[in-house]
Amino acid sequence: MGFNQLDPLLHSQLRLAVMSLLISVETADFVYIKEQTESTAGNLSVQLDKLSTAGYIEITKQFEGKKPKTTCKVTQKGVDAFDNYVKEIQQYLKP
Amino acid sequence: MEEKELTPQESMELIQSMIGKARRRYSDNSFFFLLWGWIVIIASLGHFYLSTFTDFEYPFIGWSLTIVGAIISGVVGAKRGKKSQVKNYTDEMYGWLWFSLGMAMFTIVFNGQQIGWNTVPFILLLAGVGTAVSGAMMGFKPLKIGALVFWILAFVAFRQPENYQMLIMAVGIAIGYLMPGYIMKANFRKHGV
Repeated sequence: MGFNQLDPLLHSQLRLAVMSLLISVETADFVYIKEQTESTAGNLSVQLDKLSTAGYIEITKQFEGKKPKTTCKVTQKGVDAFDNYVKEIQQYLKP
Repeated sequence: MEEKELTPQESMELIQSMIGKARRRYSDNSFFFLLWGWIVIIASLGHFYLSTFTDFEYPFIGWSLTIVGAIISGVVGAKRGKKSQVKNYTDEMYGWLWFSLGMAMFTIVFNGQQIGWNTVPFILLLAGVGTAVSGAMMGFKPLKIGALVFWILAFVAFRQPENYQMLIMAVGIAIGYLMPGYIMKANFRKHGV
Protein backbone atom coordinates (compact mmCIF):
# COMPACT_ATOMS: atom_id res chain seq x y z
CA MET A 1 0.00 0.00 0.00
CA GLY A 2 1.59 3.29 -1.02
CA PHE A 3 1.33 6.47 1.01
CA ASN A 4 2.31 8.87 -1.71
CA GLN A 5 -0.58 11.25 -1.22
CA LEU A 6 -0.11 11.47 2.53
CA ASP A 7 1.47 14.69 3.77
CA PRO A 8 5.03 13.60 4.71
CA LEU A 9 5.18 16.30 7.37
CA LEU A 10 2.27 14.73 9.22
CA HIS A 11 2.93 11.11 8.37
CA SER A 12 5.54 10.74 11.07
CA GLN A 13 4.81 9.43 14.52
CA LEU A 14 6.02 12.29 16.68
CA ARG A 15 4.90 15.13 14.41
CA LEU A 16 1.46 13.55 14.08
CA ALA A 17 1.24 13.14 17.85
CA VAL A 18 2.19 16.81 18.35
CA MET A 19 -0.37 18.00 15.81
CA SER A 20 -3.15 15.82 17.29
CA LEU A 21 -2.41 17.26 20.70
CA LEU A 22 -2.24 20.88 19.54
CA ILE A 23 -5.42 20.57 17.50
CA SER A 24 -7.35 19.87 20.72
CA VAL A 25 -6.04 22.77 22.82
CA GLU A 26 -5.57 26.50 22.39
CA THR A 27 -1.88 26.59 23.33
CA ALA A 28 0.47 24.08 24.92
CA ASP A 29 3.90 24.49 26.32
CA PHE A 30 7.00 22.50 25.36
CA VAL A 31 7.15 20.58 28.64
CA TYR A 32 3.51 19.50 28.34
CA ILE A 33 3.97 18.31 24.74
CA LYS A 34 7.15 16.46 25.71
CA GLU A 35 5.35 14.67 28.57
CA GLN A 36 2.26 13.76 26.58
CA THR A 37 4.15 12.50 23.53
CA GLU A 38 6.79 10.77 25.69
CA SER A 39 9.54 12.17 23.49
CA THR A 40 13.03 13.49 24.16
CA ALA A 41 13.64 17.25 24.26
CA GLY A 42 16.13 17.09 21.39
CA ASN A 43 13.91 15.12 19.01
CA LEU A 44 10.82 17.15 19.90
CA SER A 45 12.71 20.38 19.29
CA VAL A 46 13.71 19.24 15.78
CA GLN A 47 10.18 18.10 14.89
CA LEU A 48 8.59 21.31 16.23
CA ASP A 49 10.99 23.34 14.06
CA LYS A 50 9.95 21.35 10.98
CA LEU A 51 6.24 21.95 11.71
CA SER A 52 6.91 25.61 12.35
CA THR A 53 8.94 26.04 9.13
CA ALA A 54 6.02 24.49 7.21
CA GLY A 55 3.71 27.05 8.84
CA TYR A 56 1.65 24.36 10.59
CA ILE A 57 2.35 25.69 14.08
CA GLU A 58 3.42 28.93 15.68
CA ILE A 59 6.14 28.84 18.31
CA THR A 60 6.44 31.62 20.86
CA LYS A 61 9.52 31.81 23.04
CA GLN A 62 9.46 33.97 26.12
CA PHE A 63 10.95 34.14 29.56
CA GLU A 64 9.05 33.47 32.75
CA GLY A 65 11.37 34.96 35.32
CA LYS A 66 14.68 33.38 34.32
CA LYS A 67 13.15 30.23 32.86
CA PRO A 68 12.54 30.08 29.11
CA LYS A 69 9.01 29.10 28.15
CA THR A 70 8.17 27.80 24.69
CA THR A 71 4.50 27.83 23.73
CA CYS A 72 3.05 26.20 20.62
CA LYS A 73 -0.19 26.88 18.82
CA VAL A 74 -1.57 25.28 15.67
CA THR A 75 -2.18 27.66 12.73
CA GLN A 76 -5.09 27.63 10.28
CA LYS A 77 -2.74 26.13 7.68
CA GLY A 78 -1.93 23.39 10.18
CA VAL A 79 -5.62 22.73 10.89
CA ASP A 80 -6.33 22.41 7.15
CA ALA A 81 -3.36 20.10 6.60
CA PHE A 82 -4.42 17.94 9.55
CA ASP A 83 -7.97 17.81 8.20
CA ASN A 84 -6.74 16.66 4.79
CA TYR A 85 -4.47 14.08 6.35
CA VAL A 86 -7.32 12.59 8.39
CA LYS A 87 -9.56 12.47 5.29
CA GLU A 88 -6.86 10.65 3.31
CA ILE A 89 -6.25 8.19 6.14
CA GLN A 90 -9.98 7.53 6.24
CA GLN A 91 -9.88 6.71 2.51
CA TYR A 92 -7.23 4.05 3.19
CA LEU A 93 -9.26 2.60 6.03
CA LYS A 94 -12.48 2.31 4.05
CA PRO A 95 -13.42 -1.35 3.66
CA MET B 1 8.29 7.95 21.17
CA GLU B 2 10.27 6.25 18.41
CA GLU B 3 10.07 7.01 14.73
CA LYS B 4 8.72 4.25 12.53
CA GLU B 5 6.65 3.90 9.42
CA LEU B 6 2.99 4.28 10.35
CA THR B 7 0.16 2.28 8.85
CA PRO B 8 -3.13 4.19 8.35
CA GLN B 9 -4.60 2.19 11.23
CA GLU B 10 -1.74 3.21 13.53
CA SER B 11 -2.06 6.83 12.41
CA MET B 12 -5.73 6.86 13.33
CA GLU B 13 -5.10 5.26 16.70
CA LEU B 14 -2.33 7.73 17.47
CA ILE B 15 -4.56 10.69 16.59
CA GLN B 16 -7.39 9.35 18.74
CA SER B 17 -5.12 8.66 21.70
CA MET B 18 -3.52 12.13 21.62
CA ILE B 19 -6.85 13.91 21.26
CA GLY B 20 -8.14 11.80 24.14
CA LYS B 21 -5.19 12.83 26.32
CA ALA B 22 -5.84 16.51 25.67
CA ARG B 23 -9.58 16.20 26.18
CA ARG B 24 -9.39 14.38 29.47
CA ARG B 25 -7.58 17.27 31.01
CA TYR B 26 -9.50 20.06 32.63
CA SER B 27 -8.35 22.41 35.29
CA ASP B 28 -9.02 21.83 38.97
CA ASN B 29 -11.28 24.76 39.75
CA SER B 30 -12.36 23.46 43.15
CA PHE B 31 -10.41 26.25 44.87
CA PHE B 32 -12.84 28.88 43.55
CA PHE B 33 -15.97 26.91 44.45
CA LEU B 34 -14.68 26.38 47.99
CA LEU B 35 -13.52 29.99 48.41
CA TRP B 36 -16.85 31.45 47.26
CA GLY B 37 -18.86 28.73 48.97
CA TRP B 38 -17.44 29.57 52.37
CA ILE B 39 -17.56 33.34 51.86
CA VAL B 40 -21.25 33.24 50.91
CA ILE B 41 -22.16 30.82 53.74
CA ILE B 42 -20.46 32.99 56.38
CA ALA B 43 -22.00 36.18 54.96
CA SER B 44 -25.54 34.81 54.57
CA LEU B 45 -25.69 33.02 57.93
CA GLY B 46 -24.23 36.13 59.59
CA HIS B 47 -26.82 38.25 57.82
CA PHE B 48 -29.64 35.94 58.97
CA TYR B 49 -28.41 35.90 62.57
CA LEU B 50 -27.80 39.65 62.85
CA SER B 51 -31.10 40.66 61.23
CA THR B 52 -33.22 38.09 63.13
CA PHE B 53 -31.74 38.08 66.62
CA THR B 54 -30.00 41.46 67.04
CA ASP B 55 -30.67 45.14 66.40
CA PHE B 56 -27.34 45.54 64.65
CA GLU B 57 -27.64 48.32 62.10
CA TYR B 58 -25.57 46.65 59.37
CA PRO B 59 -26.56 42.95 59.23
CA PHE B 60 -25.11 42.76 55.71
CA ILE B 61 -21.60 43.53 56.99
CA GLY B 62 -20.39 39.98 56.19
CA TRP B 63 -20.92 40.58 52.48
CA SER B 64 -17.87 42.84 52.45
CA LEU B 65 -15.93 39.54 52.38
CA THR B 66 -16.94 39.30 48.72
CA ILE B 67 -14.50 42.12 47.94
CA VAL B 68 -11.69 40.06 49.48
CA GLY B 69 -12.96 37.05 47.50
CA ALA B 70 -12.92 38.99 44.24
CA ILE B 71 -9.33 40.13 44.82
CA ILE B 72 -8.14 36.61 45.79
CA SER B 73 -9.94 35.11 42.75
CA GLY B 74 -8.36 37.65 40.41
CA VAL B 75 -4.83 37.12 41.75
CA VAL B 76 -5.03 33.30 41.94
CA GLY B 77 -6.71 33.09 38.51
CA ALA B 78 -4.03 35.23 36.85
CA LYS B 79 -1.21 33.28 38.56
CA ARG B 80 -2.64 29.94 37.49
CA GLY B 81 -3.11 31.15 33.93
CA LYS B 82 0.56 32.12 33.74
CA LYS B 83 1.77 28.91 35.31
CA SER B 84 -0.37 26.42 33.41
CA GLN B 85 1.38 24.33 30.77
CA VAL B 86 -1.62 24.06 28.51
CA LYS B 87 -4.49 26.34 27.72
CA ASN B 88 -7.76 24.78 26.65
CA TYR B 89 -10.39 26.60 24.65
CA THR B 90 -12.76 26.10 27.58
CA ASP B 91 -10.43 27.86 30.05
CA GLU B 92 -11.12 31.27 28.56
CA MET B 93 -14.85 30.61 28.21
CA TYR B 94 -14.94 29.45 31.80
CA GLY B 95 -13.23 32.64 33.00
CA TRP B 96 -15.59 34.87 31.04
CA LEU B 97 -18.65 32.95 32.22
CA TRP B 98 -17.89 33.53 35.89
CA PHE B 99 -16.65 37.07 35.35
CA SER B 100 -19.96 37.96 33.61
CA LEU B 101 -21.99 36.28 36.32
CA GLY B 102 -19.98 38.13 38.97
CA MET B 103 -20.71 41.44 37.24
CA ALA B 104 -24.43 40.58 37.01
CA MET B 105 -24.58 39.58 40.69
CA PHE B 106 -22.73 42.73 41.73
CA THR B 107 -25.16 44.87 39.71
CA ILE B 108 -28.16 43.21 41.37
CA VAL B 109 -26.78 43.55 44.90
CA PHE B 110 -25.56 47.13 44.33
CA ASN B 111 -29.03 48.13 43.14
CA GLY B 112 -30.81 45.94 45.70
CA GLN B 113 -32.78 48.83 47.15
CA GLN B 114 -34.62 49.22 43.81
CA ILE B 115 -36.09 45.72 44.20
CA GLY B 116 -36.80 45.91 47.94
CA TRP B 117 -33.60 43.93 48.76
CA ASN B 118 -35.09 40.81 47.19
CA THR B 119 -31.73 40.00 45.70
CA VAL B 120 -31.28 36.37 46.77
CA PRO B 121 -33.59 34.67 44.22
CA PHE B 122 -31.79 36.44 41.37
CA ILE B 123 -28.36 35.55 42.74
CA LEU B 124 -29.47 31.91 43.08
CA LEU B 125 -30.67 31.88 39.46
CA LEU B 126 -27.35 33.28 38.22
CA ALA B 127 -25.36 30.85 40.37
CA GLY B 128 -27.45 28.07 38.79
CA VAL B 129 -26.46 29.23 35.30
CA GLY B 130 -22.79 29.21 36.31
CA THR B 131 -22.83 25.75 37.86
CA ALA B 132 -24.94 24.25 35.04
CA VAL B 133 -22.65 25.52 32.28
CA SER B 134 -19.46 24.70 34.23
CA GLY B 135 -20.84 21.21 34.90
CA ALA B 136 -21.57 20.72 31.20
CA MET B 137 -18.11 21.97 30.17
CA MET B 138 -16.36 19.58 32.54
CA GLY B 139 -18.85 16.75 32.22
CA PHE B 140 -19.20 16.93 35.99
CA LYS B 141 -22.58 15.79 37.33
CA PRO B 142 -22.49 17.23 40.91
CA LEU B 143 -22.41 20.75 39.45
CA LYS B 144 -25.40 20.04 37.22
CA ILE B 145 -27.33 18.70 40.21
CA GLY B 146 -26.27 21.82 42.14
CA ALA B 147 -27.75 23.98 39.38
CA LEU B 148 -31.09 22.20 39.67
CA VAL B 149 -31.09 22.83 43.44
CA PHE B 150 -30.32 26.54 42.85
CA TRP B 151 -33.34 26.88 40.55
CA ILE B 152 -35.71 25.12 42.93
CA LEU B 153 -34.49 27.24 45.85
CA ALA B 154 -34.92 30.42 43.77
CA PHE B 155 -38.61 29.51 43.41
CA VAL B 156 -38.91 29.16 47.18
CA ALA B 157 -36.82 32.28 47.92
CA PHE B 158 -39.15 34.52 45.87
CA ARG B 159 -41.84 33.71 48.46
CA GLN B 160 -39.79 34.36 51.63
CA PRO B 161 -38.84 37.49 53.60
CA GLU B 162 -35.28 38.79 53.30
CA ASN B 163 -33.81 37.13 56.42
CA TYR B 164 -35.13 33.67 55.48
CA GLN B 165 -33.83 34.19 51.96
CA MET B 166 -30.39 34.26 53.58
CA LEU B 167 -30.90 30.77 55.03
CA ILE B 168 -32.02 29.52 51.61
CA MET B 169 -28.91 31.07 50.11
CA ALA B 170 -26.69 29.20 52.61
CA VAL B 171 -28.40 25.88 51.79
CA GLY B 172 -28.08 26.52 48.04
CA ILE B 173 -24.39 27.35 48.24
CA ALA B 174 -23.66 24.33 50.44
CA ILE B 175 -25.24 22.00 47.83
CA GLY B 176 -24.37 23.93 44.67
CA TYR B 177 -20.80 25.10 45.36
CA LEU B 178 -19.30 23.39 48.41
CA MET B 179 -20.37 19.80 47.77
CA PRO B 180 -19.28 19.76 44.10
CA GLY B 181 -16.13 21.69 45.11
CA TYR B 182 -15.09 19.06 47.66
CA ILE B 183 -15.93 16.18 45.28
CA MET B 184 -13.87 17.88 42.53
CA LYS B 185 -10.94 18.35 44.90
CA ALA B 186 -11.08 14.71 46.00
CA ASN B 187 -11.23 13.53 42.36
CA PHE B 188 -8.16 15.54 41.42
CA ARG B 189 -6.29 14.26 44.42
CA LYS B 190 -7.21 10.66 43.60
CA HIS B 191 -6.89 10.58 39.82
CA GLY B 192 -5.08 13.81 38.97
CA VAL B 193 -7.84 14.62 36.50
